[in-house]
Amino acid sequence: MGASEKKSSEAAFDVPTLNAENLQSNMKVIYYSRTFMSIIGGIIAGILGFTGLTGFIFYFLIMTVTSVGLIAKTGFTVYSYFDSWSQIILDGFLGGLLSFVLFWTFAYDIVHIF
Amino acid sequence: MAMSLGFVVGILGVVILSHAAYSTVQYRGLLKIMEEEFSGPPLTVVAELLLGLGFCMWAALTVPGTFLSIHPYSEENRIVSLPDNLDFMIFNHRARVFPVELDLNFKH
Repeated sequence: MGASEKKSSEAAFDVPTLNAENLQSNMKVIYYSRTFMSIIGGIIAGILGFTGLTGFIFYFLIMTVTSVGLIAKTGFTVYSYFDSWSQIILDGFLGGLLSFVLFWTFAYDIVHIF
Repeated sequence: MAMSLGFVVGILGVVILSHAAYSTVQYRGLLKIMEEEFSGPPLTVVAELLLGLGFCMWAALTVPGTFLSIHPYSEENRIVSLPDNLDFMIFNHRARVFPVELDLNFKH
Protein backbone atom coordinates (compact mmCIF):
# COMPACT_ATOMS: atom_id res chain seq x y z
CA MET A 1 0.00 0.00 0.00
CA GLY A 2 1.52 3.26 -0.99
CA ALA A 3 1.45 6.63 0.65
CA SER A 4 -1.41 8.66 -0.75
CA GLU A 5 -0.70 12.21 -1.83
CA LYS A 6 -2.84 15.18 -2.59
CA LYS A 7 -1.75 16.27 -6.03
CA SER A 8 -1.98 19.75 -7.45
CA SER A 9 -1.79 19.62 -11.21
CA GLU A 10 -1.92 23.36 -11.86
CA ALA A 11 1.06 25.49 -11.09
CA ALA A 12 -1.12 28.60 -10.86
CA PHE A 13 -2.77 27.32 -7.66
CA ASP A 14 0.31 26.62 -5.64
CA VAL A 15 -1.20 24.21 -3.14
CA PRO A 16 1.62 22.51 -1.28
CA THR A 17 1.44 18.74 -1.59
CA LEU A 18 1.24 16.86 1.64
CA ASN A 19 1.58 13.27 2.62
CA ALA A 20 -1.92 12.96 4.00
CA GLU A 21 -1.47 9.50 5.44
CA ASN A 22 1.44 10.61 7.63
CA LEU A 23 -0.43 13.75 8.64
CA GLN A 24 -3.33 11.62 9.80
CA SER A 25 -1.02 9.31 11.72
CA ASN A 26 0.55 12.32 13.42
CA MET A 27 -2.87 13.64 14.42
CA LYS A 28 -3.67 10.26 15.93
CA VAL A 29 -0.47 10.38 17.97
CA ILE A 30 -1.39 13.78 19.39
CA TYR A 31 -4.88 12.59 20.15
CA TYR A 32 -3.67 9.57 22.10
CA SER A 33 -1.10 11.61 24.01
CA ARG A 34 -3.62 14.28 24.97
CA THR A 35 -6.30 11.82 26.00
CA PHE A 36 -3.91 9.91 28.23
CA MET A 37 -2.60 13.09 29.84
CA SER A 38 -6.18 14.35 30.43
CA ILE A 39 -7.00 11.14 32.26
CA ILE A 40 -3.85 11.28 34.36
CA GLY A 41 -4.45 14.97 35.06
CA GLY A 42 -7.99 14.18 36.16
CA ILE A 43 -6.81 11.52 38.57
CA ILE A 44 -4.21 13.85 40.05
CA ALA A 45 -6.73 16.70 40.41
CA GLY A 46 -9.08 14.35 42.23
CA ILE A 47 -6.37 13.13 44.59
CA LEU A 48 -5.25 16.66 45.39
CA GLY A 49 -8.82 17.59 46.25
CA PHE A 50 -9.31 20.41 43.78
CA THR A 51 -12.85 21.71 43.51
CA GLY A 52 -14.34 24.25 41.16
CA LEU A 53 -12.22 26.61 39.11
CA THR A 54 -8.91 25.35 40.49
CA GLY A 55 -9.45 22.05 38.76
CA PHE A 56 -10.01 23.64 35.37
CA ILE A 57 -6.95 25.80 35.81
CA PHE A 58 -5.05 22.62 36.57
CA TYR A 59 -6.41 21.10 33.36
CA PHE A 60 -5.21 24.01 31.26
CA LEU A 61 -1.85 23.74 32.96
CA ILE A 62 -1.58 20.06 32.13
CA MET A 63 -2.62 20.69 28.53
CA THR A 64 -0.07 23.47 28.15
CA VAL A 65 2.70 21.25 29.43
CA THR A 66 1.54 18.48 27.08
CA SER A 67 1.56 20.90 24.14
CA VAL A 68 5.07 21.98 24.99
CA GLY A 69 6.08 18.36 25.23
CA LEU A 70 4.55 17.57 21.84
CA ILE A 71 6.25 20.53 20.24
CA ALA A 72 9.52 19.40 21.77
CA LYS A 73 8.85 15.95 20.34
CA THR A 74 8.76 17.42 16.86
CA GLY A 75 12.17 18.90 17.59
CA PHE A 76 10.60 22.37 17.33
CA THR A 77 10.14 21.98 13.57
CA VAL A 78 6.38 21.89 13.58
CA TYR A 79 5.93 22.47 9.86
CA SER A 80 7.70 19.31 8.83
CA TYR A 81 5.09 17.22 10.60
CA PHE A 82 1.93 19.32 10.63
CA ASP A 83 -0.06 21.71 8.57
CA SER A 84 -0.26 24.55 11.01
CA TRP A 85 0.35 25.46 14.65
CA SER A 86 -3.28 25.19 15.59
CA GLN A 87 -3.31 21.48 14.92
CA ILE A 88 -0.65 20.62 17.43
CA ILE A 89 -1.87 23.02 20.09
CA LEU A 90 -5.63 22.88 19.96
CA ASP A 91 -6.48 19.48 18.64
CA GLY A 92 -7.62 17.29 21.51
CA PHE A 93 -8.42 20.13 23.88
CA LEU A 94 -12.16 19.90 24.39
CA GLY A 95 -12.41 16.13 24.07
CA GLY A 96 -9.75 15.82 26.71
CA LEU A 97 -11.71 18.18 28.95
CA LEU A 98 -14.58 15.72 29.16
CA SER A 99 -12.26 12.84 30.06
CA PHE A 100 -10.54 15.06 32.59
CA VAL A 101 -13.78 15.94 34.38
CA LEU A 102 -14.85 12.29 34.38
CA PHE A 103 -11.69 11.02 36.01
CA TRP A 104 -11.48 14.05 38.27
CA THR A 105 -14.87 13.34 39.83
CA PHE A 106 -14.09 9.64 39.88
CA ALA A 107 -10.81 10.05 41.77
CA TYR A 108 -12.28 12.71 44.06
CA ASP A 109 -15.12 10.41 45.01
CA ILE A 110 -12.84 7.48 45.68
CA VAL A 111 -10.30 9.40 47.73
CA HIS A 112 -12.37 11.95 49.59
CA ILE A 113 -15.85 10.61 49.92
CA PHE A 114 -15.66 6.89 50.36
CA MET B 1 12.01 -1.93 22.59
CA ALA B 2 11.42 1.76 23.05
CA MET B 3 7.70 1.22 23.05
CA SER B 4 7.75 -1.43 25.72
CA LEU B 5 9.99 0.74 27.88
CA GLY B 6 7.48 3.54 27.53
CA PHE B 7 4.72 1.14 28.47
CA VAL B 8 6.57 0.06 31.61
CA VAL B 9 7.22 3.68 32.58
CA GLY B 10 3.54 4.50 32.04
CA ILE B 11 2.37 1.59 34.14
CA LEU B 12 4.88 2.54 36.82
CA GLY B 13 3.48 6.07 36.80
CA VAL B 14 -0.06 4.79 37.23
CA VAL B 15 1.05 2.51 40.09
CA ILE B 16 2.73 5.47 41.79
CA LEU B 17 -0.47 7.51 41.40
CA SER B 18 -2.61 4.77 42.90
CA HIS B 19 -0.21 4.45 45.80
CA ALA B 20 -0.50 8.19 46.33
CA ALA B 21 -4.30 7.86 46.26
CA TYR B 22 -4.18 5.13 48.86
CA SER B 23 -1.91 7.22 51.08
CA THR B 24 -4.33 10.14 50.79
CA VAL B 25 -7.23 7.91 51.79
CA GLN B 26 -5.32 6.81 54.89
CA TYR B 27 -4.39 10.41 55.63
CA ARG B 28 -8.03 11.42 55.50
CA GLY B 29 -8.91 8.61 57.86
CA LEU B 30 -6.29 9.91 60.23
CA LEU B 31 -7.71 13.44 59.95
CA LYS B 32 -11.17 12.15 60.70
CA ILE B 33 -9.91 10.57 63.89
CA MET B 34 -8.20 13.79 64.91
CA GLU B 35 -11.25 15.78 63.70
CA GLU B 36 -9.32 18.22 61.56
CA GLU B 37 -10.10 19.78 58.18
CA PHE B 38 -8.57 18.41 54.99
CA SER B 39 -6.58 21.22 53.47
CA GLY B 40 -4.27 19.28 51.25
CA PRO B 41 -2.46 15.99 51.08
CA PRO B 42 0.86 15.71 52.93
CA LEU B 43 4.03 16.82 51.21
CA THR B 44 5.26 13.31 50.53
CA VAL B 45 2.04 12.57 48.64
CA VAL B 46 2.42 15.74 46.59
CA ALA B 47 5.99 14.76 45.72
CA GLU B 48 4.77 11.30 44.77
CA LEU B 49 2.08 12.79 42.55
CA LEU B 50 4.60 14.97 40.76
CA LEU B 51 6.84 11.96 40.20
CA GLY B 52 3.92 9.95 38.84
CA LEU B 53 2.95 12.87 36.62
CA GLY B 54 6.47 13.07 35.24
CA PHE B 55 6.54 9.35 34.46
CA CYS B 56 3.13 9.42 32.81
CA MET B 57 4.02 12.50 30.79
CA TRP B 58 7.10 10.77 29.49
CA ALA B 59 5.09 7.68 28.62
CA ALA B 60 2.39 9.79 26.93
CA LEU B 61 4.96 11.36 24.66
CA THR B 62 6.87 8.23 23.72
CA VAL B 63 4.34 5.39 23.59
CA PRO B 64 1.81 6.52 20.93
CA GLY B 65 4.47 6.54 18.23
CA THR B 66 6.83 8.83 16.42
CA PHE B 67 5.93 11.69 14.13
CA LEU B 68 6.30 11.00 10.44
CA SER B 69 7.34 13.70 8.05
CA ILE B 70 4.64 15.04 5.75
CA HIS B 71 6.87 16.55 3.13
CA PRO B 72 6.59 14.47 -0.04
CA TYR B 73 10.21 15.08 -0.85
CA SER B 74 11.81 14.25 2.47
CA GLU B 75 14.21 11.37 2.82
CA GLU B 76 11.82 8.92 4.41
CA ASN B 77 9.00 9.53 1.92
CA ARG B 78 11.00 8.79 -1.20
CA ILE B 79 9.29 5.58 -2.23
CA VAL B 80 5.87 6.22 -3.68
CA SER B 81 3.74 3.55 -5.21
CA LEU B 82 0.35 3.68 -6.83
CA PRO B 83 -2.63 2.84 -4.68
CA ASP B 84 -4.44 -0.45 -5.31
CA ASN B 85 -6.34 0.93 -8.22
CA LEU B 86 -8.15 -1.48 -10.49
CA ASP B 87 -7.55 0.79 -13.49
CA PHE B 88 -3.97 -0.34 -13.59
CA MET B 89 -4.42 -4.02 -12.96
CA ILE B 90 -4.41 -6.28 -15.97
CA PHE B 91 -6.15 -9.62 -15.78
CA ASN B 92 -6.31 -10.40 -19.47
CA HIS B 93 -2.86 -10.91 -20.93
CA ARG B 94 -0.79 -13.25 -23.11
CA ALA B 95 -0.19 -15.82 -20.43
CA ARG B 96 -3.68 -17.16 -20.87
CA VAL B 97 -2.64 -19.05 -24.02
CA PHE B 98 -0.01 -21.02 -22.12
CA PRO B 99 -0.99 -24.62 -21.40
CA VAL B 100 -2.22 -25.17 -17.90
CA GLU B 101 0.46 -26.80 -15.75
CA LEU B 102 -0.95 -29.52 -13.59
CA ASP B 103 2.19 -30.75 -11.90
CA LEU B 104 1.59 -28.94 -8.69
CA ASN B 105 3.92 -30.14 -5.99
CA PHE B 106 2.02 -31.29 -2.99
CA LYS B 107 4.50 -31.62 -0.21
CA HIS B 108 3.35 -33.82 2.62
